[in-house]
Amino acid sequence: MKPSLLIGVNFVREQRWPILVLLIWILLLAFLGLISNAPRGQEDLLFIFKQVALYIVVFSIFFGGSAIYNERKTRRILAVLSKAVGRQEYLSGLVLGVTMCCGIYCFSLGLTGSWTLGQAGFPASQVWFLMLCVIAACALAGTLALMFSTFLNPFFAAGATAGVLAIPALLSHLGLAAWADIMPVYTLTVTVMGASFQSPGIPVWSPILLAIAETIICWVLAARIFARVDIAVAVE
Amino acid sequence: MLRPPGIVKSLVPQGFGEIKRSPGNTLRISGMPAALEFQKLTKEYRGFPGRKRLLALDQFSLQVEAGEIFGFLGPNGAGKSTAIHLAMGFMRPTSGRGQMLGAPFGHAATRRRVGFLAENVALYHRRAERLVRFYGALNGMGGSRLSARAREVLELVGLQDDAGRNVGRFSRGMLQRVGLAQALVSDPQLLILDEPTSALDPAARVTVRELLLQARNAGKTIFLSSHLLSEVELVCDRVAVLHRGRLVCLGRTSDLLHSAEETEILARGLSVNAIAGATARNGEIRFSVPAAGQKAAVERIWSLGGEIVSVNPVRRSLEEIFLQATSGSDDVPSGAAS
Repeated sequence: MKPSLLIGVNFVREQRWPILVLLIWILLLAFLGLISNAPRGQEDLLFIFKQVALYIVVFSIFFGGSAIYNERKTRRILAVLSKAVGRQEYLSGLVLGVTMCCGIYCFSLGLTGSWTLGQAGFPASQVWFLMLCVIAACALAGTLALMFSTFLNPFFAAGATAGVLAIPALLSHLGLAAWADIMPVYTLTVTVMGASFQSPGIPVWSPILLAIAETIICWVLAARIFARVDIAVAVE
Repeated sequence: MLRPPGIVKSLVPQGFGEIKRSPGNTLRISGMPAALEFQKLTKEYRGFPGRKRLLALDQFSLQVEAGEIFGFLGPNGAGKSTAIHLAMGFMRPTSGRGQMLGAPFGHAATRRRVGFLAENVALYHRRAERLVRFYGALNGMGGSRLSARAREVLELVGLQDDAGRNVGRFSRGMLQRVGLAQALVSDPQLLILDEPTSALDPAARVTVRELLLQARNAGKTIFLSSHLLSEVELVCDRVAVLHRGRLVCLGRTSDLLHSAEETEILARGLSVNAIAGATARNGEIRFSVPAAGQKAAVERIWSLGGEIVSVNPVRRSLEEIFLQATSGSDDVPSGAAS
């Protein structure tokens, strides 16, 4: 557990600059939201909040899809895996790191969102529930990307992840809404995008729990695949 | 500044049984299995279908005894790094197997007792001491013991004054020393070093050499891959030469360096013209003869009224042995001890 935590924290540290840029972006939007006429533009404010919230789902795919590749390319993975760290622990650390990056983003957005939207009359508890939905979606999307990246390069891993995540949307479009829940990133995204001042929504926990379960399944699958992959090639 | 040679702190032996020194200057630890063992290991790199396959290791077998410094040599592309990466569990062999400290290759918990330094060391950009502590923590160390050990190993490699500096600003030689520090942090029983001195200046090389000898004297095993043959010649108890994925030479360094086939004779009181092929210096003549002709040569000197100064087996350099072993022949040179 300790190595995974160390690797997770180290991953966040390595991604500190992209995270910092995202946090500045959140602060800038919050500032603009506060200086605008909140009652008149409250729906616009909520729309921007929802949109910014979902950006991190896309970023989680990039974080997850490039994590192993970057470590292998820089050869830093060798020093880490030369210690008493199993491949499964290593991947756990990366999953933890991706989720922590997204968690930092969501926490900052939750803080600014509950402040700015709260002033406009949106319930703060619902803001935090939406953030929970986003974190769950990020964890699943990031872990799925990480799983694909164990055997694909980051570009194809991101593409494959996007393809898998798009399946529920396609099924929903074809009228098979019941099957759309099979990959709950779509359901969670719809929950976030569906929130409004008129109907902030009732917290539904099943997609979040399903996302957590599928994250664990993806992590186990990724670990199984990664255990069979050569992580170093001869330098000669 | 690096610690001057000769005052390197001794490494504390941990968890070792009875230590005996064999005639080859190798420490034998009773009841200990081989520290590192490759058993008919083959590794083939497979590209996309239709592309040429590369056989990096071919039925490679080798046993490294506990308590020895083992030199692992070979030209570029011979398969040295592949063998090391297989041992560390970074790769899976195509066939064959191996053991490291009694456990199969890739066993994570066993790596706690192993220190590894990769060729072209790559580390995270953070302060040297924090970095070493990070790697120590990955091995389950912690608290004040880890902090003290991190400072100790940084001092061992001569980076005590740079412990607070970010390694991103380090030179290649300094990076290599931090790499060595992270390999030593958990006081490993087995050190696997891939080109540990390639970027170091001569003073730092001497320090590392002393460090390795101290580690061996403390009962630790060192598996050293290097192109610096003079370094290997000085510190290694045994050497193996790998060529095209196959073991082409293996033996005790002292046995390999002293040829049993030729003898060098030093004599005085004779003209240089008296012996064919002799060279003269300071009133003495020096020449080599096949070992079988040694007796006849000595008798000839005596019959000519000369005096024998010394008769020694011809000492070859490791470079000569390396070049001979890798000149194309795939056979183990005759006379090489196992």
